Amino acid sequence: MIHLKNIHKSFGRLNVLNGINLTVERGDVVVILGPSGSGKTTLLRCINFLERPNDGEVTIGALTVDCRHPSRKDILELRRKTAMVFQHYNLFKHKTALENVMEGLIVAQKVPKKEARERSLEMLEKVGLSDKCDHYPSQLSGGQQQRVGIARALALNPELILFDEPTSALDPELVGEVLAVIKTIASEGVTMIVVTHEMGFAREVSNHVVFMDGGVIVEQGTPADIFVDPKEERTRQFLKRITPEWSYPMEALR
Amino acid sequence: MTIDIAFIVTAFFEILTALPLTLTITVVPLIFGLGIGVVTALIRLYKVRVVHQLAEFYVSFLRGTPIVLHVLIIYFAMPKLIDSLSAYFGWSFKSASIPILLFVLTAYSLTAVAYMSEIIRSGILSVPAGQIEAAYAVGMSTPQAVWRIVLPQAFGAILPNLCNLFIGFLHTSTFAFTVSQMELLGKANVVASVNLKFLEAFIAAALIYWGMTIIAERITAFLEKRVTAYSRGGMA
Amino acid sequence: MGKAFDLSLLGTFLPELLAYLPITLLILAASLFFGLLLGLLLAIPRLYNIPVLTQLVVVYVSFIRGTPVLIQLFLVYYGLPAVLGLVHLDLSRADPLLFVIVTYSLSSAAFLSETIRGAVNSVDLGQTEAAYAVGMTARQAFGRIVLPQALMVAVPNFANKVIGFLKDTSLAFTIGVMDMMGRGQTLISATAHALEVYISLAVIYYLVVIVLERLFAASERKLQQHERKWASA
Repeated sequence: MIHLKNIHKSFGRLNVLNGINLTVERGDVVVILGPSGSGKTTLLRCINFLERPNDGEVTIGALTVDCRHPSRKDILELRRKTAMVFQHYNLFKHKTALENVMEGLIVAQKVPKKEARERSLEMLEKVGLSDKCDHYPSQLSGGQQQRVGIARALALNPELILFDEPTSALDPELVGEVLAVIKTIASEGVTMIVVTHEMGFAREVSNHVVFMDGGVIVEQGTPADIFVDPKEERTRQFLKRITPEWSYPMEALR
Repeated sequence: MTIDIAFIVTAFFEILTALPLTLTITVVPLIFGLGIGVVTALIRLYKVRVVHQLAEFYVSFLRGTPIVLHVLIIYFAMPKLIDSLSAYFGWSFKSASIPILLFVLTAYSLTAVAYMSEIIRSGILSVPAGQIEAAYAVGMSTPQAVWRIVLPQAFGAILPNLCNLFIGFLHTSTFAFTVSQMELLGKANVVASVNLKFLEAFIAAALIYWGMTIIAERITAFLEKRVTAYSRGGMA
Repeated sequence: MGKAFDLSLLGTFLPELLAYLPITLLILAASLFFGLLLGLLLAIPRLYNIPVLTQLVVVYVSFIRGTPVLIQLFLVYYGLPAVLGLVHLDLSRADPLLFVIVTYSLSSAAFLSETIRGAVNSVDLGQTEAAYAVGMTARQAFGRIVLPQALMVAVPNFANKVIGFLKDTSLAFTIGVMDMMGRGQTLISATAHALEVYISLAVIYYLVVIVLERLFAASERKLQQHERKWASA
């Protein structure tokens, strides 16, 4: 179980997160929605301490970290229980696709090289890139790079994968292949939190939707709750702006 | 260790009197180099037959050898050359009547051409081909396009390099002391030996060079802001 | 001013001078070694923004950048014995080579620290974040992810600096070091053929520079192999 308690984060005098509480059960696929600047990405980055929260508590399984006094060991352990897929892929530029997937296994988890290699090959196969093992990131399309990024996260066998707008840097025709991969692993019971603007994906894949605005959670619930019957005016406004009429018939979800 | 701070101050002002000579040895070759450097850069860029290979070698050789050797070689070669020409044509002219400074300036100028040529070439290459095409499209000739469109933009791009070259030449001008020029270092040497206070004299000289360098950097930063104003975007 | 110019003397002088090339290369290699170590140390305060130390490094780098290397050489030559005299270390019999290596180490450290800093800063922050996200420690992220990429960026700049340092070593003779230039001075005193000696020296330096350039170009190609293939994406 993942539990965020009263997370606060500010950059200088700008308050970005104003007390976030969120519980994620094992196997949950949580989608975070919200206008830009609402703090979604910052929240995600607070979970693995790429941003250090000013206050609050992060719990993953048996590990609870007090954000006011995190030890270096705590942060490292949090990061080893989680994995992240970045908006701009952030593949290690000087390593091949296979080496990218192996790197965390070998260095952080001390998995023997041979085993790491086998597991990595398996993951690359899962994302449909067995034939690109020896390619460097610069030789791959954006969609392929992001799939390597997903394989890299998956290989670590984390308790939670954080997806930070995984398709928003991609050309429209490449979005589908990445979403398909995420969909597959979601169906296999991997716990994940996804920040995205892909509404169709959110409805179809998630079992819990969180709507954020102004650094707080405005509303959360099942996809049906949020998309069909939002309680809050701000949620309604946001969905109206972002959802094209033709995308999904609302009735399909009822 | 005893350092005579008061003497550093005395030495500072005494050595400072040599600044005009140092600046002459620095600036005159650079101006010369800028003029000829543009020509050699264009020769290399447009690959003018035969001449361009010569220019390539010239730049590569002078950039690949220590500048102190350029000074020494010219210092020994020029008088020989002049005297043998003089003998051949039966002139009464002797190289001994030429001030050494002229040889020094010649040596540094030849060097400056090589370094300038390289900088200017990189500056011209930094201007996108589309700029020349646009110039042709509005009916300019190649010289017009180069002079009115390419060079002004290239100048903005090379300003930091020009500043570095100025600082480099300011520091390199110290080599003139090996042929007994009384520029800053030569003067510092005299002040040091006369008073037997070497460390203090060289500290004073170092402070002068350091100050000059900082001033040069400041001026460049200021110029850069003005010259590249067009690339800042927004409304004027 | 010497005797008539005789180009055939190059045949005699070139081997004489070449015999002293190892000393020149020793000065270069030793000062590069110490310069890199010190340069790395100097780069750290600015990379991690450590107060006070950062300001000290900035002043140090500015001073080295702001003064001629010849002056630095004299400052070390006259200053080092004075400083070490405080701890009763007598340098009056020290080989001038020592002063030269100290000077060029101190000098190259300042320039190399700037190269290192620029190269490290050129690596996208996302690379470090990704390293953290897969569970690496700060040291692992730096050593395995940032540093290898920074090295690649630094090679061309580093190559230019090294060639510059090589040419600077030609000044060591001013404090009496017996490198190629120093040997050249003695040849001049013995033969009075200064021009031929200096031309020979220029030829040797030029050839060494060309060899160095080739070596660096080759190592750069090797390092960047993975970017050479079709960098389409």
